Amino acid sequence: MLRTNGLTKRFGGITATDHVDFELGEELTSLIGPNGAGKTTFFNLLTGQLTPSEGTVEFQQDGEWVDITEAKPQETAQLGIHRSFQITNIFPTSTVLENVRVAAQAHGSNSLKFWRNVNTFEGHYEEAQQILERVGLGGQSQLTAENLSHGEKRQLEVALALAGDPDVLLLDEPNAGVSTEGVDDIKALIEDVATDHAVLLVEHNMDIVMDVSERVVVLNQGAVIADDSPENVRGDPDVQEAYLGGYEAGDLDRAAADGGRV
Amino acid sequence: MSTETTDVDMANSWPVQYLQDHTVHIAVVLLFVAYPFVYDILVDLFALTAEMVLPEPRTMLTILALGLFAMSFDFISGYTGYLSFGHGAFFGIGAYFVVLGYNGQIPLLPAELPFMMLMLMGALAAALFALVVGLLAFRLSGVYFAMITLGIAEIMYVVSQHWDYLTVDDSDPATGTAAGSPSDVELFEPVIGIPFIDPLNATVHPAFGETTFLGINFGDPVIVTYFAIGSIVLICYFLMQRIIHSPFGRVMIAIRENEQRAKAIGYNVFYYKIGAFMISAFFGAIGGALLIVINGTASPDTTLFFLVTGFALVATIIGGLGTLAGPLFGYIFLEGVEEFLARKASGGGLQPWLQEILPGSVLNASVSGVTVDEGMNAFMTGHGEFYTGIIFVVFVLFVPIGMLGTLRARLGADSVADWATTRIEKFRTESESEAGVEPPASETDPEPESDSD
Repeated sequence: MLRTNGLTKRFGGITATDHVDFELGEELTSLIGPNGAGKTTFFNLLTGQLTPSEGTVEFQQDGEWVDITEAKPQETAQLGIHRSFQITNIFPTSTVLENVRVAAQAHGSNSLKFWRNVNTFEGHYEEAQQILERVGLGGQSQLTAENLSHGEKRQLEVALALAGDPDVLLLDEPNAGVSTEGVDDIKALIEDVATDHAVLLVEHNMDIVMDVSERVVVLNQGAVIADDSPENVRGDPDVQEAYLGGYEAGDLDRAAADGGRV
Repeated sequence: MSTETTDVDMANSWPVQYLQDHTVHIAVVLLFVAYPFVYDILVDLFALTAEMVLPEPRTMLTILALGLFAMSFDFISGYTGYLSFGHGAFFGIGAYFVVLGYNGQIPLLPAELPFMMLMLMGALAAALFALVVGLLAFRLSGVYFAMITLGIAEIMYVVSQHWDYLTVDDSDPATGTAAGSPSDVELFEPVIGIPFIDPLNATVHPAFGETTFLGINFGDPVIVTYFAIGSIVLICYFLMQRIIHSPFGRVMIAIRENEQRAKAIGYNVFYYKIGAFMISAFFGAIGGALLIVINGTASPDTTLFFLVTGFALVATIIGGLGTLAGPLFGYIFLEGVEEFLARKASGGGLQPWLQEILPGSVLNASVSGVTVDEGMNAFMTGHGEFYTGIIFVVFVLFVPIGMLGTLRARLGADSVADWATTRIEKFRTESESEAGVEPPASETDPEPESDSD
């Protein structure tokens, strides 16, 4: 669906992304790595928030690979690559429904119709309501987005990315800051959206990563150091050295608690 | 059974639904229509007291023109979040286009074109200018956008003070240019109305305009001018409101709320911002053209000067940023304060009123060497702008969402019209279900409250 070739990003002397060759397939893939490994930079390169110093990004559309290295964020979104953000990034004083509706409206040419009342485009409302029910916010659609709880905002964050039925979904820590009771909901949501989208997930909570992923890619200092099934990655000595530090399932909640800016 | 169904169908047919949805709009428009007559009646009844509180119909003309300009300012600033500090540039283009176009100073245009045509061409010219400014200024964000637009308007202001092209017969450009001033051009008598339908047109001017409109003689050209300008402002308001409530308008709001996310969900925000800016400039220029109807002269200080935008900003903050109608009410409030503190010559105010009701002994009582009357002269009368400034500060501190914004928040609705619609809906279903039961009176009058803003 989406692949990179020698993708590199330098900020002055720092190489944030270092010659990454990566291809995202249909399986649910997780991207992990210690803080500062370059995960969010990698996302920003894929979606056009940043332009790479070297290398290419390509997107598969109807069997053809299209070069999207120089594409802007709105262009990658129009192509069908949607992302959620690590730091909640919603339309705060609009209603929850309007948040998703305006995202659904972005696809197609209706947005330019300045002479029609917005209510005549019922399709966008229906799509938004369906997405809200899917992420578990069906009952909160009339609330103002900023009044949602933190966990609900994370769900809305995913809902915004789902609008417009993307092919590729890049989820940047959907679980960030969610209380332990909320983890199962988020986990179920990730598994649900992975059934009909190609998903690349950045996540610090190792329980989620090891449970839901079919493939795990490990970044360290901008470079890929492992790319394998969760079991094999867990056993990889390089990974343990770089990141996990003798990981055992369940005891890395503190990694999530760090909040981990990348 | 069948008759009942028809009754329900009648009650829910679209005209009824339309009236229900627009109760508040209709009520506000009726209030505006009634204003000049109500003013006359109240002044007859209460003389100076009414004159003190209410702005004169003649002042209302300026309020309408500047109110439209403030609404256009709110359209871009309140809905996309980009403060257009140089918005006076578009007001000035609208005003100067009418004057220069009428005088035949614009290349390729014959002199003495009808006012409506000049107004629309000026508005299009302003929109094109906004395209150029927008291509430059929208490359930058927030504060820098405000600075660039302010800078461009200031350049235009300075140029307009010294550019002889703008004037006729070697007069000083800084003093302004009157429409119809060249000797070979006829007097400027703007006609407002629907072209080619004679009864719907009127020559409009507060001093020498027609006194008859739609076959009714109002006996006062100010009233006809008021209705003509009011109709244009109303149409512009509904057009802007339609755009705000369109898919395009929702993208503008999304940009205000979170521009980065609007990009990430697939909007090319640059184009939407430029589009919104052009629309805003279009209506701002119409405001400028209406000013020429009222005073006939375009001058740098009344159009391009940065305080013209400054007052629009103050009116917008007081009325409510991002409410569209708010700035007009903000302007009524501002002008009201100014007139309240003015002398009798400009519509009656506090001091003439006090001079009438207070006995001479109080007026001439001396407080540390100054009589009360002199004190009022020194500290109050004619200083409307000073007190407006204080009111502005108070609003920013305590009512940051403005009058209309506060009203909406109180009612818990997106707009006063929405709130009224829900209330009427509720009232109708209640009275239908309890057929025969007298509805509580308090439910029936949501309109007067909403008018009071």
